[in-house]
This record gives sequence, C-alpha cells and structure tokens, in this order.
Amino acid sequence: MSPDTAEQIQPRAEEERAKRRRERWAIGVVAVLVVALTVIEANLATIGGAVAFTSNIVIFALINLNVVLVVLLIFLVTRNVFKILLDRRRNILGAKIRSRLALIFISFSLIPTILLFIVATNITTTSIKSWIGGRVGQALTGALKVAQGRLEAEALALKPLAASASARLDKATDARTRAEVLRSARSAGPPGAAVLLFRKGKEIARVGEIPAVVVTEILSGIKGMAGRASAPGTLFGEEYAAAWSPASGGVVVVAVRVLPPAESARIRDIKKAYEEYHQVRLLDDPIRASYIGVLVLITLLIVFAASWMGIYLARQITVPVQLLAEGTQKVARGDLDVSLDYLSDDEFGTLVASFNRMTGDLKAMKGSLEAANVSLTHTYEELRRRTQFIETILDNISTGVIVIDRHGRISMINKVAERLLGIPTDGALGRMYREVVEEEHYEAIRGIYREAGEAAGGQVERQVELRVRGKRVAFRVSLTALHDDAGEYMGLVAAFDDLSQAMRLQRVLAWREVARRIAHDIRNPLTPIQLSTERMQRRYAAEHADDPAFAECTQAILSEVATLKHLVEEFNRFARMPAPKLSEGDLAEEVRPVVETFRASHPGIEWEFHLGDMPRVWFDPFQVRRAVTNLLENAAFALGGRGRVSVTCAHDPSRGTVRIVVADDGPGVRPEDRDRLFEPYFSRREGGTGLGLAIVSAIASDHGGSARMRDNAPRGAVFEMEFPAKPEGKG
Amino acid sequence: MRVLVGLFSLAFLFQAAGGALAEPNPPRIADVSGSIQGSKASVRFTLRNAFSPEMVEALKSGIEITFKTTVRVERVYRGWFNQTMGEVRYTRSVRYDALSRVYRLHRDDGDELLPDVRTALERMTRFEITVLVSGDVERGKPYRALVRTRLDKVGLSEPLRSIVFFSSLWDVETDWARGTLATP
Repeated sequence: MSPDTAEQIQPRAEEERAKRRRERWAIGVVAVLVVALTVIEANLATIGGAVAFTSNIVIFALINLNVVLVVLLIFLVTRNVFKILLDRRRNILGAKIRSRLALIFISFSLIPTILLFIVATNITTTSIKSWIGGRVGQALTGALKVAQGRLEAEALALKPLAASASARLDKATDARTRAEVLRSARSAGPPGAAVLLFRKGKEIARVGEIPAVVVTEILSGIKGMAGRASAPGTLFGEEYAAAWSPASGGVVVVAVRVLPPAESARIRDIKKAYEEYHQVRLLDDPIRASYIGVLVLITLLIVFAASWMGIYLARQITVPVQLLAEGTQKVARGDLDVSLDYLSDDEFGTLVASFNRMTGDLKAMKGSLEAANVSLTHTYEELRRRTQFIETILDNISTGVIVIDRHGRISMINKVAERLLGIPTDGALGRMYREVVEEEHYEAIRGIYREAGEAAGGQVERQVELRVRGKRVAFRVSLTALHDDAGEYMGLVAAFDDLSQAMRLQRVLAWREVARRIAHDIRNPLTPIQLSTERMQRRYAAEHADDPAFAECTQAILSEVATLKHLVEEFNRFARMPAPKLSEGDLAEEVRPVVETFRASHPGIEWEFHLGDMPRVWFDPFQVRRAVTNLLENAAFALGGRGRVSVTCAHDPSRGTVRIVVADDGPGVRPEDRDRLFEPYFSRREGGTGLGLAIVSAIASDHGGSARMRDNAPRGAVFEMEFPAKPEGKG
Repeated sequence: MRVLVGLFSLAFLFQAAGGALAEPNPPRIADVSGSIQGSKASVRFTLRNAFSPEMVEALKSGIEITFKTTVRVERVYRGWFNQTMGEVRYTRSVRYDALSRVYRLHRDDGDELLPDVRTALERMTRFEITVLVSGDVERGKPYRALVRTRLDKVGLSEPLRSIVFFSSLWDVETDWARGTLATP
C-alpha cells in the first residue's frame, strides 16, 4: 500500500474524532439509562406500596444483568440506527433503502408491541384488582369460617369426653386404673376419638390411634397456651380436633379426633388459598409492579430485538443491492472484471449470480468487439493507406479525375481536376457536380455521358475544348461508367487530360520541321545571291558610280540576305535542337551567372535572385542556360531598361520537381497573346524571331517538364519553367 | 468489560445508598447481657424495631417470618486481638395459622402455639441463648457477647415467590451489638 498523504490523513482523523464523540454520547446515554432504570428498580416496590425492598445480591445481579443486556441491545440498535442515518446523510450507496426498510421493520414491530404492552398492562392491573377486591376474598373467608366451624364443632363434641375422663381420672390411682378409665371414656365418646394424657409436657398414656405429628402439634399447643391449660379448652388443626381438660396432679386429658385424610386435604387447601389471597392483597403493588416490569423488559426485548432484526434484514436485503449498485458503477466505468462475492440461495443470490454472469458475458463480448475493432482498424488503416495512395497518385498525375456517384454527387476529385476545370477547391466533395462545374462543362460532360450510356462497355473518350478562366483549353475527356458485380449503376469516373501542352508540342515539332525545310530551302540560294551581289558590286560599282540606286540596291540585297541568313540560322538552330544531355548538378550554379550577366548588362533593372532549398538536379546545363537567357531577355525587353526582375530557383518535394521562375513588373502579356506565347515565330517584338519562348518550352518539354506563364501581382508577368529534379531511370 | 463493571458498581452503589436512606428507624439489638461460667455462656438480649406494622400485617396474612441470630462470645484483649471462644447461630420463626387462629413459634428446641400476636412478637424478640465456649474462663477477666440478627427469609407461598421473584419483601439486619458478660 502507498503511504497516506496528508490530505488523506486529515479527513480520517476528523472521522475518528467524530466517531469517538459519538461513542461518548452513546456511553453517556447508556449510563443515564442504567441509572434511571436502577432508580425505577429500587423504587419499584415502594412506588405503589409501603413494603420495603430487599438487597438480595443475586436477584439484583440478575436484574442488573437483564438491564445491562437490554441497555447493550439498545446501544447496539441505536448505534446501528445512527450508522444508517449517517450513511444516509453521506449519500452512501444503499443507505436510503436500508434506512427505509429498517424504519418499516421497526415500525411494524414497534406499533403492535407497544399496543400489546398497553393492553397487557391494563389486563394485568384489572385482573389483579378484580381478583383482590372482588368476591374471592369473601368466598375464601367464608370457606375458612366453615372449616373452622366444622373443626370447632368437632372439638366441642370431644369436650364432654375430656371432661368426663378428667373427672374419673381423679379417682384412679394407678396406671391400670387410668387406662381403664380412658378406655371407658373413649367408648362413651364420639366414634374415632382417641384420649391422651399429658403431664409436664409429656405423654403418659394414650388410648386410640393418633399420628405422631398430631401428638406433637397438640403438645405444642398445650405448651404455648400453658396459661389456659388450667381450664378446659379446645384445639384444632388441619388434621384434627381436640379438647382438653385438666385433671389432678398436673395431668391434662386430651380427647382427639383425627379427621379423614380427604377432609384434611380440603381444609388444608382452603387454608392455603386463604393465606395466599391475603398475601396477594398485601403484595398487590409489588405483584403488579413485577408483572409490569416483566412486561416492560419483554417489550423492550421485543422492540429492540425486532429493531435489530429489522436492521439485520434490511442489511441482508441492501447488502446485495449495494453490491449490485457498486458493481454496476464499476461496469459503467468500464471495469468488467467485477465479480460480486455474495453467495445465497435466495433471489438476491440468483440476481448476483446473473450479474456476475452478465459481466462475464460483457467481458467476453467486449473482447470480441475489441478484436473486431482491431481487425476493423487494420482494415480501415489498409483502406486509408490505399485511399491515400490512390489520392497521392491522383494528385500527382497530370490527369484530372472526378468520381461521381449514382446520385450525381462528387465522391472524389483530385487537385488536377480542380485546377484544370477551375473548380473551387473547397466544398466540391459531396456536392452535386452540376452545382460545382460550370454550365458549359456540365453540358459537355452530359453529352459525353449520354454517349457513354450508349457505348459498349460504358466507356467513351472524346476531345473537347472548354473555356477555363476565360481561356480555351483542349481536353481529352474519358468517361467510364461504374457498375457493381450485380450490374447496378454506381456512378462514373471522368478523366480530363489537358491537351494544350501536347498540342503545343505537336505544333513545335511541326514548326521544327517547317523551320528545317525553310532553312534548307532558303539557305542554299542565299549564298549565291550574296556572292553574286558582291560580284556585282565589285564589277559594276565603278560603272554606276553616278547612280546611287545601284549601290543602294545591292547593299539592300546584301543586308536582306544577311538578315535572311540570321533568320535561317535561327530556324536551323531551333529545328536542330538536340536532345538534352542530362547530368546531375547544381541548378543554381548555372542560373546565377546568367542573372549576373544580365545585372551587368542592364544596370537600370533591379535583378533579384532567390534560391530555396535546392537538391542536386538532373538537367542539361547548356539548354537550361539558354532557356534562362531567353526568359531574362524577354523580361529585360518588356521592362525597357527600368524595373525589377526576380529569378527564383525552387524545389517542390511533393511533386519532385524544380522550378525556375522569372517574374517582372513590366506591362505583362495581353490576354489574346497568351495562347500563342510559346508558339514559334510569334513575337510582338520588332525584329524578334518569335523563337525564344518556343525554345524555352521545347527545353522544358525535353526535360520532361513544361513552361507556362501567368500574371504577376500587381503587374507584370511570371514565366515558369518546371521539370523533374530526377527523371526516371536516373540515380 | 470496564463499562459493564462500571454499570454494575453504579447500580449497587445506588441501591446501597437508597437502602440506607429508606429506613429512618432501623432494627437493633438491645440489652445484651449475660454471664459466662465453666464451658457455657448465657446471653440475653432484646431485638427492637424488628417488626414494622407492614411486617405484622404480613404475619397476619400467613407469611412466615424468620430471624437468624448469631451470638459470639469473645475474650477481650487490648487492641483488636480478641479471642472468639464460642459462636452459635440460632433460628427463630413465627407464622400465623389462619385456620386454628394461633401463632406457631418455631425454635430450635421445639414449636409453640401462641394464642395472640402480642405474645408471638414478644417471644420472637426476647432471647436467652446458651453458647458453649472453649477454653478456660477466668473470673474477673473481660468477656463480651456480640449479637447480630437478620431476617432470613420471608416465606411467601410458592406461586407468589415465582411472581415476585426479585423480592423478599423486607430488609432487616442489625449491626453487631455488644454486651459484657459477667463471670460469677
């Protein structure tokens, strides 16, 4: 375990202090309760009666033990009740339902128990009162008097016998005579009677059967009533009735009749009931208090036992609920390793088992999903990689590609297509292609699409000329209808190839052929013409010295021949332009000297040279220098000696090309001239051959690239020559 | 555990204090006197305030009242080094017989049926007991008798005893009473 931090210890100490405080409260309350109960206990008997109370240690120990047990029960129940309340206040999971269940259980036990206690107390009190104050006492007293009357009558009946025997005993002098007298007297007396003689507390003679107990009883009676024994009297008990009569010589004659056992038992019962009745009367209040005390103890026991049971049952119910709630929270947090440790054969046990099974299934399903997700991720990555690959390909090919789905929405478009067709780069994807492309383009595509629908294989290729950004551009459009395996139409793929460059190249090639023929056909007669004219000048100059026309004409012929030769030479050079000899080198090292040369020759122009991060490039140094020279010549001419020319060498890693960009702030190029700028023999420059930009274009094409022109901002023109930094097969 | 002991102690203390305060006129042994000679000592004394009106009422209701008395004879020495020479425990009880309307006095030497409550109470509270002593009794030396009596039990009938199980009704116990014994 990690050591506790100060932030953890602080709340724990607070909690501990609060717990101790609660315990002190609980102990205090228990102590007060014990004292109060002891006071009640000590005064229980004296509350209702004047009978004192004993200090029997055993009884008090038992009572106090009971009280302590009850108090302990109260303490435990109270502690649990407080715990439930605290848990509820702290919003601990399951506390609310536990407190509710406990309250219901306690209420259901408390109400009937208290009602029962009240009723039982009333019944007990009423019963005791009615028993004591009713006719029971009168009946018992009457019964006792009847018994006494019966015994008194019996004793009185024996009195003459005792008196007679006493009188006759005075004349008897010896034991034999006394025995005779007693037998005689007994026979004259009531049947079953016996006669005894006592002297000085001792039996000296007996006639008849008398139990020893009865004899002892009679002796005790005569002893206790010694003062009265001098006169005749009667005596009776539960088992006998007797009458005595004093005789001479300290002798006492006692006539006794022992009652039948059944009658004795009845009299004993009457006597016992009478005594108990009077004891109950005497102990009315203590008895009532005892009953009530017992009822109170039982009631408390029931109430708190029921409360305890209620809390226990509530806990039994809420523990699995709490476990389930906590488990559910853990599952909600994503922890599927939850397994609730609760075993029971009831419905909660089944529920918990189902929960555990569910989490297990969820875990298995999650595992499957994760595996599927990994597989899907791999598939997606593969698809994405392929898509990216295709997009990269599409972005790097010179063909514009648009994929249109069956609903006419653009599902894919590459940058080349956007550039070629002048489609805004944002928001084209997913939109209807009719909304994206211009009306003219739409109509053209639709026309071709119709043809594609009719064509075998759903593929058609057409060459169209469309206006893009105000310029007519020739395209080769290829439409291919897409069908799934079931033959259902899925959309179409439109591929656009810009034919302008190819056509320009074709024209350049044609012009090269023309130039070669012109050069060949014109150059041959030029030398004889020149030689002949020079001969004419030498031979006939003197003859026509006075005629200036001769000299002017011959000179004009020679001059025009020279011009034609220069023209032919240019044509020849254009026509015979060799294939580039590519070698790997530093492009900037070739461009920079050309710029410096022009900086020196055109000091009125501000020349700038910018060099980016340039790798080593495969190119023909001679041709590149020539192309750059042509571009700078055009720029210098356009500026007329004043202005600014910026030359930039840049590398485009994404396209794998290098660019030589020449920008000026001159008057720019008229729109109508732009289509023909790179065509041979097109020049707005007086005396220009119109081959400069054609040669630039030819060099760029021979390097596998292209040359293009655009407007400079805010003014001027930008000529750009682009070709691969490393052609295929090199390096 | 300490809490339990504390609770018990508190309860007993409370009870003891309550008991002491509850009796303004406690029972006592009075007029202890007698003599000692040879191997016997004769001790006389009277038990006073033993019967409250409630006890007399209970007696008339048939409840048996029993006193157990302890009599100790000592040779008195200086300090506390007295020598016990003999001791006897003596039981005396009385019970009213509602049927025969007599009071049965029970002593160790036999029963006695007494006709009225006055005689019964008198017999219950006047004692003359013989104590057998060991050792030589020297004439002129100090001897004394110590007497204490307590109410042993109250004879509630069985059903009532089970109901009032925690009560024996009265708490009668005297302090030790002392009296000098003569050596004739």
